[in-house]
Amino acid sequence: MKVDITLRINGATCTGSPEARKTLADFLRDDLNLTGTHVGCEHGVCGACTVIVDGRTVRSCLMLAVQAAGCEVTTIEGLAPDGELGTLQQAMWDSHSFQCGFCTPGFVMQATAFLRAHPDADEQQIREALSGNICRCTGYQSIIDGVLLAAERARQS
Amino acid sequence: MAGIAAERYTGASIKRSEDPRILTGSGRYVDDIKLPGMLHAAFVRSPLAHARVLSVDVSAARDLPGVVAAFTGAELEAMTVPGPDVLMALLGGGGPTPEFTLLATDKVRFAGDPVAVVIAESRYLAEDGCELVDVEYDDLPPVANASFALDPSSPPLFANLGDNIVGPRSRSEFGDVAATFAHADRVIDFRIGVHRHQNVPMEGRGCVASYDAGLGVMTVYAATQSVHVSRIAVAMRLGIEQDKVHVLAGDVGGSFGLKIGASREELAVAAASRAIGRPVKWVEDRGENLTASGQAREESFDVLAAVSSAGDLLGLDVKVVIDTGSYPGMGTMVPAIMEAMLPGPYKLAALGFESTAVTTNKASYVAYRGPWASETFVRERVLDLIAKDLGLDPLEIRLRNVAPRTDPPAAMITGRPLVGVTTRESLERLAQLVDFPAFRRRQAEARARGRYLGIGLATFIEAAPGPRSPEGPSGPMGMESMRLRLEEDGVVVLFTGQMPHGQSHQTTLAQIAADEFGVPFEQVRVVVGDTDVVPFGLTGGSRSATMTGGVALHGARQLRAKVLDFASHLMEASAQDLQITDGHVWVRGDPASAIAVGEVARRAASGQFGADVDANLEVEAAFDGGEGGWSGGSHCAIVEVDVETGMVTVQRYVVAEDCGALINPAVVDGQIRGGVAQGIGAVLLERSAYDEDGNCQSATLMDYLVPTACDIPRIEIEHLQTVPLDADVNFRGVGEGGMIVAPPTVVNAIEDALSPFGVRIYEQHLPPARILELIAAADSGQ
Repeated sequence: MKVDITLRINGATCTGSPEARKTLADFLRDDLNLTGTHVGCEHGVCGACTVIVDGRTVRSCLMLAVQAAGCEVTTIEGLAPDGELGTLQQAMWDSHSFQCGFCTPGFVMQATAFLRAHPDADEQQIREALSGNICRCTGYQSIIDGVLLAAERARQS
Repeated sequence: MAGIAAERYTGASIKRSEDPRILTGSGRYVDDIKLPGMLHAAFVRSPLAHARVLSVDVSAARDLPGVVAAFTGAELEAMTVPGPDVLMALLGGGGPTPEFTLLATDKVRFAGDPVAVVIAESRYLAEDGCELVDVEYDDLPPVANASFALDPSSPPLFANLGDNIVGPRSRSEFGDVAATFAHADRVIDFRIGVHRHQNVPMEGRGCVASYDAGLGVMTVYAATQSVHVSRIAVAMRLGIEQDKVHVLAGDVGGSFGLKIGASREELAVAAASRAIGRPVKWVEDRGENLTASGQAREESFDVLAAVSSAGDLLGLDVKVVIDTGSYPGMGTMVPAIMEAMLPGPYKLAALGFESTAVTTNKASYVAYRGPWASETFVRERVLDLIAKDLGLDPLEIRLRNVAPRTDPPAAMITGRPLVGVTTRESLERLAQLVDFPAFRRRQAEARARGRYLGIGLATFIEAAPGPRSPEGPSGPMGMESMRLRLEEDGVVVLFTGQMPHGQSHQTTLAQIAADEFGVPFEQVRVVVGDTDVVPFGLTGGSRSATMTGGVALHGARQLRAKVLDFASHLMEASAQDLQITDGHVWVRGDPASAIAVGEVARRAASGQFGADVDANLEVEAAFDGGEGGWSGGSHCAIVEVDVETGMVTVQRYVVAEDCGALINPAVVDGQIRGGVAQGIGAVLLERSAYDEDGNCQSATLMDYLVPTACDIPRIEIEHLQTVPLDADVNFRGVGEGGMIVAPPTVVNAIEDALSPFGVRIYEQHLPPARILELIAAADSGQ
């Protein structure tokens, strides 16, 4: 069964007719070609598919597309629409935060939402905030350093 | 052009050129590929570990709207060529090599073994189709562990083998084993086990296969460590010429050894695409990844150690049994590497080594970051156990046994010279960084307050690529090739067979080539992942730093000479008087003469030169590893064990390592930290678990626990001054070392923390429940 939905994605109004059972992650990737959102486990553990829905991070593998009807969704593609890296992305680049890059969109979305709410977070708070996202490559230190650097730059600007 | 500065990229933490696309979600992973008319595959998998397949009925699946095709194992067998594991076929395993089909036909050999594949308009519909496939099984007794596999009464997984032994028992001796043991002050015996690990890259396996019947060409978009090995596998199993197989790869979301070549499922997808005439995609889900992609380790070691009363490790006699799971491949090749590496950097005088590889009803053994690493675990565990018996300090016993650096170099008893090995320096540096006496005081104070701190250290060396062998090129995989070309826009393009999946080759190789050729870093492009344009290669075995870094250096040097030779005609100057810096060719001492390298390339392409002028600004380079050398280092962990809950916290982790000259320190540190994190995970969290019926107990990420940001401490890294061996290329591999040595480091620290209880540890997996068992067993005197 297909369901017509209208929602806002990265600031633009979108319509679609996903199957009722289709996850938000698959809808973004398959129907809208927004392949920056990655699917890593499909059971809500790894965080690779994290997007921001109405200001809160969600696992788009655990949310149905139809549940996002009427919502404001931000994906990784919405963070640097003109190709200019944002403060967090730039800090992560400067910190060599990532390796294979598969977990990256989820971390960037999670850290974006967290820093928005907790601009003065310390290292331990950042580690806890990112502990629902799995990276298999880095041992996390470079990611944490990137978030700390972004927070510091944001405070200075 | 005055004052052209010679900027060195090599050795600097240049920001990665991969990152802008990765940080913006613009990377292109295999699941991002969409082809017109593309279908999706899903596999029907066995719920049983060991059973005969009596019948497979796919008719109801075929009737489901949206399902385009469904194939049973037998149907797929008729479309393909049976054979052994492709790696085994390429490298040889030293044992019998059972041939097997892509999907199970006569029987299933592990819970998760694919028995049918359904192809549909979407993955959702393909999975619906799988639900409708009816398979009848007849249970066989599961061979759920190695000890049953060794029992002649166990039902053989492969009828033609007659038993479950795929790497038959073999014994080697180095030095005089009998005399060494006869004259030792003590002979101590241990049984040490390593549990089953898993790679768990964040992106699982997957591919898109697309067959062009008109051209007879199979194109496969792969997630792989080598497009060429994938091509060989597809050609072999589909029975077509390699020339008719085109493998492409974009970004690859991690692998750690899992994605060497093409798996049975990927080959089945290629066969299905050929049969249907439409592109087919399959990307495994996490359940498939954890149960069916493959697993690693799970060895047991019976160890005899010949020891002097003063603490000299004189000899080892080791018998290993390795559980290679169901479809034999890499697992049969690992014992030979363990044997060669077991002496490590120590002056061990005798080694007896016996190995047996068995097949069991579990997911197949695959390579995982330092596949032979358990030899380091055994050796470094044994040293600590001996030190405890003799009342020696772990640092002291290691310093006592490390082979001195002499000229000519000492050799491992198994043969290789320990040239340039800096183990002693790494241990001494660790002692400075950590201050062991101060820790012991802190440990004593903590114990008085009922808190249990422990310190552990361990050391390793890795042949990455290993010292130059008189027999030929360094490293087991031979020479490394690269094609380099100067384009008309002034870009130097490197075509490499390396297939990066996190290693940052598009950055590191560009750094080396930019320096050697004389262009800005941004003016080098590294092309990977296309069998039509890149030479043979494989990313793995900590190979690329030396082998590919080396060929990039020598290749850029060759290309530079060629460009200068051509420019000498253009500029009417002798090539010896020309140089290239900052992307310009100029006559030495005459900055006004500078011409951009792109202009040189445009002139070369103009065809305005005679046949006597070589205007083809392209070279094919090959590198044999030069003098090669060892990577290595020592690690130290400080842990606290909560003896009420069994929780272990890693408080501090310090690395003193030597991977030669650093190409990009931030990339090197990332490789080390990532490896250490996997090693910490292996000890404290991770285990591929099976019950006695061969059911996988770790099929989700809530059961197979990988470390999070709260589990891994800051990892302090100190790079030692290396001993250069080669005139030009002293970069050495660093990918595997962290994972090789972190497990013994952490286990040694945990045992130290629990020493007031008299705990001795002979295993690697120490989750809280196991820690509590060990304390309880020691308390009750067991």
